[in-house]
Amino acid sequence: METRAWLYDGQTALPRTGVLIDEGDRFRLEDARGGAGPFAWADLLPPHADAGVASYGLRGVPGWRLGFPDPPPAAIAAKLPRGQTYGRWIDRFGLWPAALVLALVASAVVWGVLQTPALVARLVPASAERRLGELMVGDFGRNGCRRPEGQAALQALVRRVAPTERDLEVHVVAVPMVNAVTLPGGRIVIFSGLLKAAKSPDEVAGVLGHEIGHVRNRDVTEALVRQLGLSVLLGGLDGNVAGYTSALLSTAYSRSAETEADRYSQQLLRQAAVSPAATADFFRRLGGGAAKGRTERLLSYVASHPVSRDRAQAFDASATRGATHRPALDATQWQALRTICAGQSEKWDFRF
Amino acid sequence: MARGDAAERDSAFGFGGTWREYAPIAFTNLLLTIVTLGIYSFWARARTRRYLWSRTRFIDDRLEWTGTGLELFLGYLLAIVLFFVPLGIIQFVLQGVVLRGHPGAAILGAAILYIGLLYLVGVAIFRALRYRLSRTFWHGIRGGSDEQGFGYAGQYLWRTLVGTLALGLMIPWSMTTLWNRRWNAMSFGPLRFQAQADWRNVFGRFLLFYLWPIVLFIGLGAIGVMGLTAGGATPTGGGGVAIVLLGLLFVSIFYGLLGVIALAFYAAYFREGVGTLTLGGLQFGFTARTKDFILLFLGNVALVLVTLGIGYIFVPYRNWAFFIRHLEAYGEVVLEELTQSTTREPGQGEGLLDAFDVGAF
Repeated sequence: METRAWLYDGQTALPRTGVLIDEGDRFRLEDARGGAGPFAWADLLPPHADAGVASYGLRGVPGWRLGFPDPPPAAIAAKLPRGQTYGRWIDRFGLWPAALVLALVASAVVWGVLQTPALVARLVPASAERRLGELMVGDFGRNGCRRPEGQAALQALVRRVAPTERDLEVHVVAVPMVNAVTLPGGRIVIFSGLLKAAKSPDEVAGVLGHEIGHVRNRDVTEALVRQLGLSVLLGGLDGNVAGYTSALLSTAYSRSAETEADRYSQQLLRQAAVSPAATADFFRRLGGGAAKGRTERLLSYVASHPVSRDRAQAFDASATRGATHRPALDATQWQALRTICAGQSEKWDFRF
Repeated sequence: MARGDAAERDSAFGFGGTWREYAPIAFTNLLLTIVTLGIYSFWARARTRRYLWSRTRFIDDRLEWTGTGLELFLGYLLAIVLFFVPLGIIQFVLQGVVLRGHPGAAILGAAILYIGLLYLVGVAIFRALRYRLSRTFWHGIRGGSDEQGFGYAGQYLWRTLVGTLALGLMIPWSMTTLWNRRWNAMSFGPLRFQAQADWRNVFGRFLLFYLWPIVLFIGLGAIGVMGLTAGGATPTGGGGVAIVLLGLLFVSIFYGLLGVIALAFYAAYFREGVGTLTLGGLQFGFTARTKDFILLFLGNVALVLVTLGIGYIFVPYRNWAFFIRHLEAYGEVVLEELTQSTTREPGQGEGLLDAFDVGAF
């Protein structure tokens, strides 16, 4: 059996045209330049379906190409390897079955990556989490505001809100932002701007309860694990797409963690007989007027925190009817807490 | 394609792909990329290139792309291990340093990190070009380079840094000399590429960047003076709105024209780069004018916008077709002398380049 064929030998750019002669397991090319081969049929590499004209490579010889000017006879065509389209695995199953199976696997993987951080975070021992915190943020917060009266008031507030909590570490730093953060390792840092913006110790108590909720729920570790998982999972996607997807997915989880922490705070306030109405007021003031509230609601799907008005309502609703409330701190303590940073400038010092 | 048939036949390069042929490839690539959470994108890119190369004719035969998705994937994994992991750890440490109250040390660390990154960008650009040439076959012969790209990266580092001195006036010099360095290290078969791009030929275009704000401010000043004399010197409520609108107009014109100037410079730079490139008895040329680049760019933007983003999958096709249709070669190729390249074949693809998201050419 023989047929017309062309060949590039991968050594020179000269094309060779001649007759391909089939010799069972092998074949050779006869041309004007003394022929080529024999080559084993089994060494032929499959052509690519997208390439238009089918041509075959030879295992181990880069640049070697064999092709046929006319469709080869059936006996020879049967010995040629089948063409590849999507890749070896997907070609074997067919595009649609492969896509379906892959889609199922992908959904399972995404679900797993989103769910496991909560489990993993709870498996991380508290001591390891604390060491990770030291590694990441050093002694941030510890060298914050230290006026003794203020510190005593802060301790009193912590004991009042969470009397059963043992190793809580709460600090105030002189940063003019209305915020409080929970760092890895369960360290809570309150910014002095928040103390300034708060109208009563009850408001600070609500925020503190919220941060204690984050510590209890291991939210920071969970977020770290989730971020790591998502960045590995989405690594193959285009940079921007991966970034947006990851941000969207993690903020969705962050919102539910915030709601959960709010609920924890409400529970602590109830047990401590501190009025949640003050915290509700605080969130309402943060949310601003109706117009700002609308914008906030529009953006709520991309925000890391729930809408302020919803949070305020939840705090209001958590109040037990007829319960008697006591202020979280007395007037002297509150004054001491508000001036815990007195004499400290609200700026970062710059040192090597 | 009917467009420019006569011109295409005379050109040494021709592109014979069609939208309809490419569409099934583009859409199945998109589908498989989504269901594999992006992993297939490497195989998708290999498939796209295989198609584009196979529809590209040089003189009497098609080009062939032999790179595989696996190579690109391995290159990417390697880039993650060698680059992303250390980078993540360094960022972690720097963050800790800042929070421990040593921002000065952190800034120093970040500066060293930036210089290291710039060096790696140089490595990435060189290696991507080398990889692409080594996987491009014509008549069974491929290209490549004997160099690894570390020397080039050193050149890239200092030339890029020096290029930004003197208010960026030396950028044309750094870009053209780096083009020459990069291409002079490349070969196809036994033949070396030779590039002799001269910065003086693109410097005029580059000066547009400096001229443009001056022209704009003089023009705007004139308009402002006319407005003041016409409307009298009494500012009214309507005047405030007009000033805001004028400001918006100013900003959009400023950046729009800055983009056009950037394209005008890039067109000149690319023509100079390709136009001074030779390979054995071949002299290359590139015919796209600034207008063609602008049309390509606007076409890509319109395509993506009109299709709500899906059209993005056709952008590589459009870019390649544009590149090949404007690419010319003169002179002759002696097939007997074109023997196989003896350069080492790189084992994996453009991982680092992917990591930095920069172009190879």
